[in-house]
Amino acid sequence: MSRPINNSTPSPVIQTAVTVALSIYLVGLVLSIVGNTGSGSSAVVRTIKSRLFSPWMVPPWLDLGFDYRLTYGSDEDGDFSVEVRRQGDEKAAPVRFPGRLTGERAARWRRLARSIAVEDTDRDGLLAAAVGRGMFDDAGADDVTVRVLRTPLVDRGGPPSAPVQASSARVRMVGGELQLIRAEPRGEVAPLVRPDASGDPSDGGTGSDGEATR
Amino acid sequence: MNTRSSDAARPLSSTHGFAAVGDAWNRFWFSPADSWPLTLVRIGTAAIALAAWWSYAADLQAWFGPAGVLPADTVREWRPPTGFSLFDWAVTPLSLNALFVATGVVFALLLVGFATPVVAVLAAVLWASLLHRGPILAGPADDGLSILLWCLAIGPAGEYVSLDRWLANRAGRPVPAAGWRASISQGLLQVHATAIAAGAVLAQLKGDVWWNGLAAWYLATGPRSGAAGLVPLLERSEYLTNLLTHGVTAFEILFAIGLWCGPTQQLVARVGLIGWPLVGLLAGEPLWGLAMALFALPLAVRR
Repeated sequence: MSRPINNSTPSPVIQTAVTVALSIYLVGLVLSIVGNTGSGSSAVVRTIKSRLFSPWMVPPWLDLGFDYRLTYGSDEDGDFSVEVRRQGDEKAAPVRFPGRLTGERAARWRRLARSIAVEDTDRDGLLAAAVGRGMFDDAGADDVTVRVLRTPLVDRGGPPSAPVQASSARVRMVGGELQLIRAEPRGEVAPLVRPDASGDPSDGGTGSDGEATR
Repeated sequence: MNTRSSDAARPLSSTHGFAAVGDAWNRFWFSPADSWPLTLVRIGTAAIALAAWWSYAADLQAWFGPAGVLPADTVREWRPPTGFSLFDWAVTPLSLNALFVATGVVFALLLVGFATPVVAVLAAVLWASLLHRGPILAGPADDGLSILLWCLAIGPAGEYVSLDRWLANRAGRPVPAAGWRASISQGLLQVHATAIAAGAVLAQLKGDVWWNGLAAWYLATGPRSGAAGLVPLLERSEYLTNLLTHGVTAFEILFAIGLWCGPTQQLVARVGLIGWPLVGLLAGEPLWGLAMALFALPLAVRR
C-alpha cells in the first residue's frame, strides 16, 4: 500500500525538541532496566532514576524493568491461590481464588495471592487485611482466616506435590477496628541447655525440656 | 514505499564522528515513514487490550469496588509516590462501572480507528490508570500493552483500515503523505522490542534453571502453560528440555540484536512474529507473547 512520500523533515526546532525528548526518554528506559527492583541496583542508579526519571515515567506506566524471568524454578514460581474461611469453622466451605477460573482473570488472582505471600510481609500484612475484609460478605462472617496456598513446582521425574500453606492470617473486625493476627511460622531455634539441672530460672534456661519457647 | 528502517540500514555517508552519529540518528527517527505498519499494530493492540480489559470485568467490583479486596488506600502502598489512577475517584459501584465501560469503549474505538489520534491517547491514559488502580494484578502483557498504546498515541495509527479513513474518503481527502511521526512511533517500537527482550534475557540468566536447561520443564508444567502437551516428551528426554530452554534464551538474544542488523532485520522480525507467541504460550503468558509479536510487526511487514 504505497502513497506519496513527503520528504520534508520536521522543522529544526521541532527536530531538536524531539531529539532532546527522545534522548531523555531513552536514558530513562535504560535506567529502568538497569535499576529495576527485581535485580537490585546501585545507590547511584537508584537515586538518579528515582529523583529524575520515575516521577514522570511512573504515571504513564512506563517505569518498567522488563524483569521477565518467566521462572527460576523456585518456590516463588509455584502456583499461588488464596482461600478465605470463617475463623474457627474448619467445616465451612472456603472462598477460593482463582479456583476453577482460567486465563488472564485467573492469572490476576494468582498474582494477588502471590503478593500476599511474598511481598505483604514488608507492608505489615496490609494486603491480607484488605483481602480478608473484602471477603467478609463472601465468608459470611467478620472474623476470617486468609490463607495463601502454594502448589510447588513439579520436579522433573518427581511426583506432583500437594499445596502447602505459604501464609496465613486471621482478619477480624472488633468494635469497628480491623485487626490482623498473622500466623507466624515457628522459627527453628537451638535448644537451650542449662548448665545445671537445678531448674533455677535465673540462669536463663527454660526450665522445661530444654527447648526454647517463643 | 520508503520506510524508516530501510533508510536506517543505509550506509553512513563519508562524514565522521558526531556528524555521522547525528546523520544516523536523524535517518532513524525522522525519515518519513508510511503508517501502514502502525495500522496493523493498532488493530492487534486494540484486540489484545480488549481481551486484557475483559479479564477485569467479572471481578471489577470485587477488586476495586467500595467493599472490594483492593481499597485505594491499601493499593497506594504498592504504588510509587507519583503513581495515580483515575479509577481512584470512582468510589461508587456506578462510577466504577462507568469508567470501566468507558475504557472498553475507547479500546473498541481504537480497534475500528475512530478519532484515532485522540482515542489512542485516551486509551493509553485509561489503561495506565487501570493498572495503577491494581498494580498487584498487573503482569507482563499489561506492561507491553501500555508501551504499545503510547507508541500508537505518538504516530498516525488511523490512516488505513479505519473509520477515520472511511470518513476521509467520503470527504474526498487523500491519504496523507508519509511522515516523521510514523517514523518515531515505529522507531520506539523497535527500541522497546530490543529493550524488553534484553531485559528478559538479563533476568532469566540470573537463574540456574536457564543455565542447567530445566527452565522449559518448569514452564511447561506450570498452571497456565499452554504447552502441557509437551510435558510427556520433556519427561522422556532431558536433552529436549535443555534444547527448548536454550532455544528460548537464544531466540531472545538473537531477537534483541538481530533487529538492528540490516540484512537480518526483517527475517528476525518475522521469526519474532511466530517465536514470541510460542514463548508466551510456553510461559503461560499468551497475551504477552502476542504483544511482543506486535513490537516486531512493523519491521516484519516492511517492503
